[in-house]
Amino acid sequence: MTQGTFGWLVLAFPLAGMLTIALGFRRLEALPARTAGWIGTGAIFLSFLAALGALLEMQGHAPSHRAAVDCLWNYAVGSGIDARMSILVDPLSVFMILVVSGISTLIHLYSISYLDGDRGYKRYFAYLNFFVFSMLLLVLASNFLLLIVGWAFVGAASYLLISFWYRRQTATKAGIKAFVINVVGDVGLVLGTYFILKHTGTLEFLGSFHAAHHGAFGPGTDKGDLVAGCILLLVGAFAKSAQIPLHTWLPDAMEGPTPVSALIHAATMVTAGVYLIARMHPLFELAPAAQDVGAAVGAITLLIAGTIGLAQTDIKRVIAYSTMSQIGYMIMGVSVGAYAAGMFHLMTHAFFKALLFMAAGSVIGAMGGEQSIEKMKGFRKAMPFTYACFIIGGLALSGIPPFSGFFSKDEILLVTGERGGWHWILYGVGYLGAFLTALYTWRMIFRVFHGEPCPEARELEEGHLHHAEQPFNPADGEIEDTDVGFPGPNHTVAERAWPMRVAMSLLALGAFGAGLIQIPEVDSVVTSFLQPSFAGSHLYTVHTRDGLLIAGLIGGTLIGLVGIAIAYRIWVKRPGTAKLWQELFGGSLYTLFVNKWFFDEGIDALIVRPAAAFGDFARDAFERLFVQDTLIGGTSGIVRAGSALVRSIQSGLLRYYAAMLVLGVAAVGLYLLLQS
Amino acid sequence: MSIGWYLAVSAIVFTLGAVGVMVRRNPLVVLLCLELMLNGANLSLIAFARMWGGGGGQIFAIVVMTVAACEVCIGLGMIVAIYRSRLPVNVDELRDLHG
Amino acid sequence: MPALSILIWVPAACGLLGALLSGVPRSASGLRRTLPATFALIGSLAAFGLAIGYIVEYKTGSQASTVTQTLHHVTNVTWIASLGIHYKLGIDGLNVLLIGMSTLVFATAILASVARSGEPLERPGLYYLFLMIAESAVLGAFLAQDLALFVAFFDLMLIPFYFLTGMWGRGERRQRIGATIKLVIYTLVGSLLMLAAAIATGVLAAQQHGTHLNFALSALQTLRLSKGSQEWIFIFFAAAFLVKMPAFPLHGWMPDGYRAMPIEVLMIFSGVLSKVGAYGFLAIVLPLFPQASVHFQMLMLLIALASILYGSAIAFRQTDARLIAGYSSIAQLGFITLGIFSLQQQGAEGALLQMVNHGLVVAPLLFIVLLLSRRTGGSEDIRDMGGVAFRAPVLATIFLIVALATLAMPGSANFVGEFLILLGVFKAKLAIAIIGFAGVVAASVYALRLFIRSMHNRKGAKVDSHDISWRDGIVLVPLVAAILFLALYPQPALKRSERSTSAAVAEAQVFDAKTIASVQGSGWTSYKPIADQKTGPSR
Repeated sequence: MTQGTFGWLVLAFPLAGMLTIALGFRRLEALPARTAGWIGTGAIFLSFLAALGALLEMQGHAPSHRAAVDCLWNYAVGSGIDARMSILVDPLSVFMILVVSGISTLIHLYSISYLDGDRGYKRYFAYLNFFVFSMLLLVLASNFLLLIVGWAFVGAASYLLISFWYRRQTATKAGIKAFVINVVGDVGLVLGTYFILKHTGTLEFLGSFHAAHHGAFGPGTDKGDLVAGCILLLVGAFAKSAQIPLHTWLPDAMEGPTPVSALIHAATMVTAGVYLIARMHPLFELAPAAQDVGAAVGAITLLIAGTIGLAQTDIKRVIAYSTMSQIGYMIMGVSVGAYAAGMFHLMTHAFFKALLFMAAGSVIGAMGGEQSIEKMKGFRKAMPFTYACFIIGGLALSGIPPFSGFFSKDEILLVTGERGGWHWILYGVGYLGAFLTALYTWRMIFRVFHGEPCPEARELEEGHLHHAEQPFNPADGEIEDTDVGFPGPNHTVAERAWPMRVAMSLLALGAFGAGLIQIPEVDSVVTSFLQPSFAGSHLYTVHTRDGLLIAGLIGGTLIGLVGIAIAYRIWVKRPGTAKLWQELFGGSLYTLFVNKWFFDEGIDALIVRPAAAFGDFARDAFERLFVQDTLIGGTSGIVRAGSALVRSIQSGLLRYYAAMLVLGVAAVGLYLLLQS
Repeated sequence: MSIGWYLAVSAIVFTLGAVGVMVRRNPLVVLLCLELMLNGANLSLIAFARMWGGGGGQIFAIVVMTVAACEVCIGLGMIVAIYRSRLPVNVDELRDLHG
Repeated sequence: MPALSILIWVPAACGLLGALLSGVPRSASGLRRTLPATFALIGSLAAFGLAIGYIVEYKTGSQASTVTQTLHHVTNVTWIASLGIHYKLGIDGLNVLLIGMSTLVFATAILASVARSGEPLERPGLYYLFLMIAESAVLGAFLAQDLALFVAFFDLMLIPFYFLTGMWGRGERRQRIGATIKLVIYTLVGSLLMLAAAIATGVLAAQQHGTHLNFALSALQTLRLSKGSQEWIFIFFAAAFLVKMPAFPLHGWMPDGYRAMPIEVLMIFSGVLSKVGAYGFLAIVLPLFPQASVHFQMLMLLIALASILYGSAIAFRQTDARLIAGYSSIAQLGFITLGIFSLQQQGAEGALLQMVNHGLVVAPLLFIVLLLSRRTGGSEDIRDMGGVAFRAPVLATIFLIVALATLAMPGSANFVGEFLILLGVFKAKLAIAIIGFAGVVAASVYALRLFIRSMHNRKGAKVDSHDISWRDGIVLVPLVAAILFLALYPQPALKRSERSTSAAVAEAQVFDAKTIASVQGSGWTSYKPIADQKTGPSR
């Protein structure tokens, strides 16, 4: 089989899984409860195997012949566009499908236990398989139109899964918010495509890169249309990857089930923006201005998200802001030309962030659905396995060697520093962000696992899993509607469900060891693997100065360790320090962080309310006064008045009619007489 | 005799009929007055036919008589129907067709 | 394939037959009820079958290039010789898809009428007769290749809806009659303007070129009017078509009209009749009045833009489910107008595709509103809805597909349509395209809002949810199948319309100096059509 065929198989399995579960949902009633879960997991695992097949097939070719385009049918060809149902299988997309299908398999496995007993079990796996299909479509697409299709499909899948427990109003609100912001991103993508299509005349990636390389936009770099197109593509990337100012949907998206947060809102979908910039590198390299925008936004995001993470109390939201911050690193990386490092960080981040989410899910299970770290305490003894996973994930996230996050994050910053000039600011911001990362990560770990055990932890230590008397939505205190399920009806913890344990162990292994495949100066598997996809790039191979390399390695380690030490001092050694500092440094900064820099309020005041006010005005005032009364009232008024006039003559009195007739005839007669 | 006398009688008969249609309320009488109007018209038709010596006017008069017969049939039928359904026998009160 | 007259008149004939047979005295009352429905179903399905036949048979791409004429299956009979009016029908790329969509929507609307539960239909013979006359009139308007004939069919469309709204409508009698009168006045004023304009077109063309009167479109196209006459005639035509669509600010009849119509009739009115207006722009206004089209391009684009923004904004705050569909139609038709008056081939082609898509999407959407109201104790207000999805997974899935198609989700044919429309506008007027994108975002808000407020959230007080019955299923499934087919494979639709749409805008483009400059200048790479190859560049 060719690598193209393998690529289609990668797509076919999740689609088949989704259709099987969705169409056969009535048949599945009769089978054991977990069948749908196993079908879904199996489909994704087969997809992973097909991705491996594509990898092996591809590696058999010479490096210059590793990109293959395979077309099934003409989707919309003609009228100046050439959109085919075709996929591009090259090292970059193979890298992505391996990461996506691999992580997805593990998260499906985890979900089998985690969602056990939920009323929407089958629906959940149908949605999740649909998501994986869409994500794979996104990374395999060989033209802009198909990319946009995948892009929007993952947005739809994300919407469906965020509002999975759809009786919760908080969930449906978060869902529509995520969807609409993603549509804003789609719009950016479509407009950007127009600008590129305008000059290259083709929607195919390879064709338009080729045209751009040969001067379709004119000689030199930073041509107006190209920069506009690239910045619009960045808008799409920002919306999907939750970069400022289009990030507000991501924290709210935590309303979805925890495995969904792990898969979609940490490991895969939100990294699509990174993939997009890496995929479009031939265009971005011709538009350095757009690259600078991307790098700056990435740096701002990583800093702001880090500060917000410090002040949040919802365990999933802390991890969500951490995700935003880490994606900020990746966006910054691929925008400054650290493609391999960015993609590498994407992979390691997928491991450790999915791991952290899964562990958080386990803790939430133990708390009976409660997510606030204010109420969690001392779970260390009750959940040793979950604790270990948290430690591994936390160390990887904070960039402590030899955990995976250390190598990937520092390589991004290394390349950024190499670029020199104003990139030194980004370099500094990156290390500041690393310090914040260590601080908020270990704040969370220490608060949840250390100290005196809370009642729920005590119960678990005695071998009993806490269940809430009456399940309620922690976000607004509403009693759950048991019809459609709600988080943790059965409260599964990793310690008691082997599929969760297996999934988490494998991820922990990845979070620990994945960094070893790309150690600077030792081996660079990722760099050389991705090389063919970036053959034309002048930024791809960087010659690092040894001094910077060593300084980065040592400095990065130290910053991480200092962050952990400070967190330990504040939240374990002297509990209460945090309170004291809050008072010392004034409420203003803290208020800013707790309220997420007021982005939600700003967007609300600037866009949502004016739109709603315009709608209300149009409906209540304009529509009623102008259209109904003036336009309609006017025309129908004239007609009504005329008809009233004519009607009054029609009295129905026969004698009147007769008199009229006589008078009329007489008048005509008189007229004729006078005429003659 | 000049044609004038014939026409004068015809006009008188026609006017009597017309006034009757306009002032009387009993449908039967209205119908009678209609007949009067038709016969007034017939009279002038015959008079003119006689004056020109042609047959056209006479033929017309016969047609009018036929029509009048038909009309009386329908009219009386309707009046009987009105009696039967106990509606008021007064044309002023039969005004369902008002706008 | 049989002559087009059969396609046009089969529905009316079936409707008449059903009405007459059911009127035969002493026929059993059960038969009296089912006969008209059966005949209507047969007629509409026959028309649908014929339409599919024409679509399949329509020659595309390289096959068509060997055929010189673009019009197929021409029927040309002189109707009124002294006035130069012909009974001329023909199929081209502009109407071939629309007749398919129209006959499908009609067939499903009749299925919906048959499947209707609750109290039985009053006077079924008359009801189906009017529906079938409407179908004949719509097909006639699409297929007419003579201006006078088009006007005749266009006016004939109105008559059945007058009775259908007035006699079978919802609500109090007074309101219903009021709505009917509004509807009639609005469309009639437009129709009269159009009648005057059509006569003027024929007469002035004959005068200015010194030829005999001839109303055939092909003849009128060669006899170009002077620019001054074109302009006022354009405004008359535009008024008629914009009322029919409806476009802001000529949509005044819409809210009351939508509220009063029975939903089965509304499926047709919103799905099909609004497209006749848009079709009129494409088939008549652009080819016949190219100079005026260029002259008024900006005005029309602004009207379209206003329709998009205004319709979306109201749909976003509206609580009556069927009015959400109504105002969303204003916005969607705004997109179609936008595409047509980009005066670019892409825009016109996207507009045509979008006409088909919108018909296919709005009909099931309205039917779903009906299904929802059955589950919420008769209310169509989204504040009374909520939580229907549980116990109704099939309905929820179908509704989700329809809602996503409505908001032109990439991967649906609606997206391809919007992509082409906005690409055309992007080429013509960049700023308008950018504002138009606001409508894309707004569509996602109102479509999802409708879905969430009815299917998700807490259960409404009177909500009693259950899944759809097979009777409702057979109404929805054909429409959803059509949506999914076009979503997966829009290529056949594009291929069929490509040549005709480029011909439709070609005349106008000649007068659009900017287009010429932009094609020759640095802007757009002239597109080199890639032949029907299946493989990409590097396989």
